[in-house]
Amino acid sequence: MLVLPKLQLEDVFACAQCGYCMKRCPVYYFLGWESTSPRGKIFALKEILGNDGRLDEQSIRKLGKSFSTRFFNCTFCGFCREVCHVEIDLLEIWSKVREILYDHEVVPESIIKLSETVKKSKNIYMMDNLSRTDWITYTGADVNFKDSAEVVYFVGCITSFSGRVQSIAQAVSSILNSANEDWTLLKDEWCCGHPLALSGAIREARVLALHNVEMIESTGAKKVVTGCPGCYLALKHEYPRLLGKKPRFEVLHSSQLLDTYITSGKLVVPKADITLTYHDPCELGRISGVIREPRVVLQSVTDTFIEPEYFGRESICCGSGGLLKAVNPSLADNLTQRRYGMLASTNAEVIVSACPACVQALAQTATAIQNGKRVIDISQLIAEQLGLM
Amino acid sequence: MATSNNFLRELVNKLGQECVSVDSLEKLVYAHDLAALPKSVKLLFNTTPDAIARPRSIEHVAEIIRLANEYKIPVIARGGATWGFGGTVPVRGGIILDLTGLNRVVNLDEKNGLLTVECGVVWEDIMRFLQETNWELPTYPSSALSSTVGGWAATGGIGYGSLKYGPFVKNVAKVTAVLPDGRVVVADDNSNPNLSQLFGSEGILCIFADLTLKLIPKSEVERPFMANFSNFANAVMAAQEVLRLTNPHSLVLRTFGFVRAKDYIESDTYFFGCFNGNRYDVDRQHLTLGSIVNRYRGYLTPEDEARREWEERFYTLRIKKWGPSILGNEFIIPVHKILDIVKYCWHLGNQAHLDVEVEVMFISRDKALMFQLFLCDERKSIRYLTEAAITKKVLDAAIKAGGKPYGYGLWNFPFMERAEPEKKRELKSMKGVLDPQNVLNPGKTIGAELMLGIPLPGKLYSTFMDGVWVLRKVV
Ligand SMILES: Cc1cc2nc3c(=O)[nH]c(=O)nc-3n(C[C@H](O)[C@H](O)[C@H](O)COP(=O)(O)OP(=O)(O)OC[C@H]3O[C@@H](n4cnc5c(N)ncnc54)[C@H](O)[C@@H]3O)c2cc1C
Ligand code: SF4
Ligand code: SF4
Repeated sequence: MLVLPKLQLEDVFACAQCGYCMKRCPVYYFLGWESTSPRGKIFALKEILGNDGRLDEQSIRKLGKSFSTRFFNCTFCGFCREVCHVEIDLLEIWSKVREILYDHEVVPESIIKLSETVKKSKNIYMMDNLSRTDWITYTGADVNFKDSAEVVYFVGCITSFSGRVQSIAQAVSSILNSANEDWTLLKDEWCCGHPLALSGAIREARVLALHNVEMIESTGAKKVVTGCPGCYLALKHEYPRLLGKKPRFEVLHSSQLLDTYITSGKLVVPKADITLTYHDPCELGRISGVIREPRVVLQSVTDTFIEPEYFGRESICCGSGGLLKAVNPSLADNLTQRRYGMLASTNAEVIVSACPACVQALAQTATAIQNGKRVIDISQLIAEQLGLM
Repeated sequence: MATSNNFLRELVNKLGQECVSVDSLEKLVYAHDLAALPKSVKLLFNTTPDAIARPRSIEHVAEIIRLANEYKIPVIARGGATWGFGGTVPVRGGIILDLTGLNRVVNLDEKNGLLTVECGVVWEDIMRFLQETNWELPTYPSSALSSTVGGWAATGGIGYGSLKYGPFVKNVAKVTAVLPDGRVVVADDNSNPNLSQLFGSEGILCIFADLTLKLIPKSEVERPFMANFSNFANAVMAAQEVLRLTNPHSLVLRTFGFVRAKDYIESDTYFFGCFNGNRYDVDRQHLTLGSIVNRYRGYLTPEDEARREWEERFYTLRIKKWGPSILGNEFIIPVHKILDIVKYCWHLGNQAHLDVEVEVMFISRDKALMFQLFLCDERKSIRYLTEAAITKKVLDAAIKAGGKPYGYGLWNFPFMERAEPEKKRELKSMKGVLDPQNVLNPGKTIGAELMLGIPLPGKLYSTFMDGVWVLRKVV
């Protein structure tokens, strides 16, 4: 027997079934069936939950697989929550349901594999975690490992291991050096745990959180910088909840750091004669509220910055979130192509984002088509402008 | 009625596997609309569809209907499912026709301001599409963020802009409709059946497949307004005078209850709306509005608050957060009866210990669309059933006051005989001619059916509801 917490239960019953969330859901946009929409999922929950929020084992066993397909076909982009008529925290409900499904072992095969991988190897790629810093050699970045420093650069699994976006780590490192920051990498960084939290594996995510916090706090750093919105969300918002206390460091996304450097004059970026557009990563923009800073940075580089259709809090997901890529790669691909189309139709020369997963997905789409645009991360753009790369 | 396997096989053959679902979770989530049904009421009907079809073309729609005729299987059209009168809820199973996939903008006639769209297009998408043009929509519902064009044609068709430009039916040039025998016809004001006969037929006479909308040239300015009053009667009188002396695009009045969900509105009652047109005209009307509001001891809010309220105009159910359930009904009443009905709603609410909220959308100088809702909790099922009777009490009073329900569907069908006997007769005779097999949305609007097709007499339903209300008062 399982119980949906009271707050979420009230929200399930408060849903007006108005459908405002459906129009925005990028998954429903492609699948089209009511049960794949946020509204449909809430209704299904209401139907199988008792009035007290209880969910009996039998229902979970019976409907588990259907539920699992629907609840994991979701990018956790949070657009449903953003537009909800009655301000339901839908992401919180989606998380709780994934937790319940995970506890009952009715999650998709790919999710089981992923969580096993992370638990074992401490990264999402089943790589030897000692090779996490190999990007330093590949890119020739100038990096120091220190016992103590003011700033920790938390790189994250995708940037560390994925060849296509390792240049983001190089860019962030060179910017930190150029700003004369006293910084270090962690000697033993583990996956931030966000993929586990998204899998519903909360207990396992806690183990990773504990390790990373210990590592960071042992350096005495007051700030942690990351270029990955998933890591940012985990470090800043998930860790306090997972660990029951707020860690003793401030968390910044690289775009926020760039904003402070540029606004304070610490870095002077020469203007470029280039048209740029920007894709707001869902976890950074809508979910974490970091919307202004990347724009300040981009507008310092160019006078021709063009917003795409749907931006800021209304940005449309590129398909890289919520583990959709693992669960349903072809659907994730559809989402990427749709978003790429919107960005490309601005006619900007370069598409910028602030997330290794978004950059990777959008760049893959761009290279697969004729005359695809250049897609880069905001830190790369600035490092290039500063002549650091 | 179990849908035969042969029917389903043929359906899949014609549409393709990807357009048909018999998945049990899918059927569960298509078995309802906006309103939460009391569990005991659900037992009377077979609300679970046998299958759901998502047509991709008008031809698909026609094929499904022809096939349904052959096998005598109910077909229930469904757009955004945002209507709360049970119109999309099956009463004896059948096929739900999810029309949201027919969502293309077909053609814009730039010169004449005519826009042809498929029935499943959501209003907001039209608004977005028109941003780049010189045209705009004359009228749209407050559910514009999710409801479909076809759904509005099939129901009331009154919304923002109707005060100035008339109801939806007056703003449509023609439609392509699929009749219950599968024929595809084009209907306009002069065809047989004509637009007025088909509009508001709640899915029982035809499926609207595409519609050609009449647009209006984009206004030079749009100036929202909002006025607060400490007393409901004053607000109503002020609104009447605004209607007499100005020509607003929209005028909506709300009572205190909605205020709880919004921190920036302090008064008991407020109205809001918008003037549009050329700048000089709009400013002049705004001046007149200011003096009227003053005369009735209200005050205009700052422009930014008014604009915020106008931008929030699609979020009319925020209050549901406090329910968590609501029981609501909508009806059209003479403006001079607004006060009486609101007082009656408050009285009923008092008796039943329920918060009452009222919204009035003016649709002309003498008519208004009134939406009343009671906050309740569907989880207390017996109590909820007895509370449901309150909406009948309000409708009884509204009809007595010269009003009529704003839609019938499944829940309001017993009221049609009393409120609009002529319309009922016309609909019934058209239904007999066009749909002799009763395939399109059976058990709705002109008469209800229980599961297995057993008719539900309106009188029995009414007596039951009255009984339940007495029970409510006693308990
Ligand atoms: C927040 C909110 C605000 C609302 N504001 C308004 C308002 O301002 N004015 C107003 O009139 N209503 C309003 N409504 C009610 C509802 O949104 C409208 O009636 C809307 O037009 C229904 O459209 P839909 O696509 O959701 O239709 P559905 O709910 O899917 O269907 C409604 C009825 O129409 C039939 N139908 C649907 N599509 C077709 C079609 N293509 N051909 C034939 N029959 C069809 C169905 O069988 C059903 O009987 C509001 C609802 C909400 C939730
Ligand atoms: S989080 Fe995004 S993908 Fe998931 S249900 Fe909400 S809108 Fe859809
Ligand atoms: S927007 Fe919110 S209230 Fe409306 S259907 Fe979606 S979850 Fe429910």
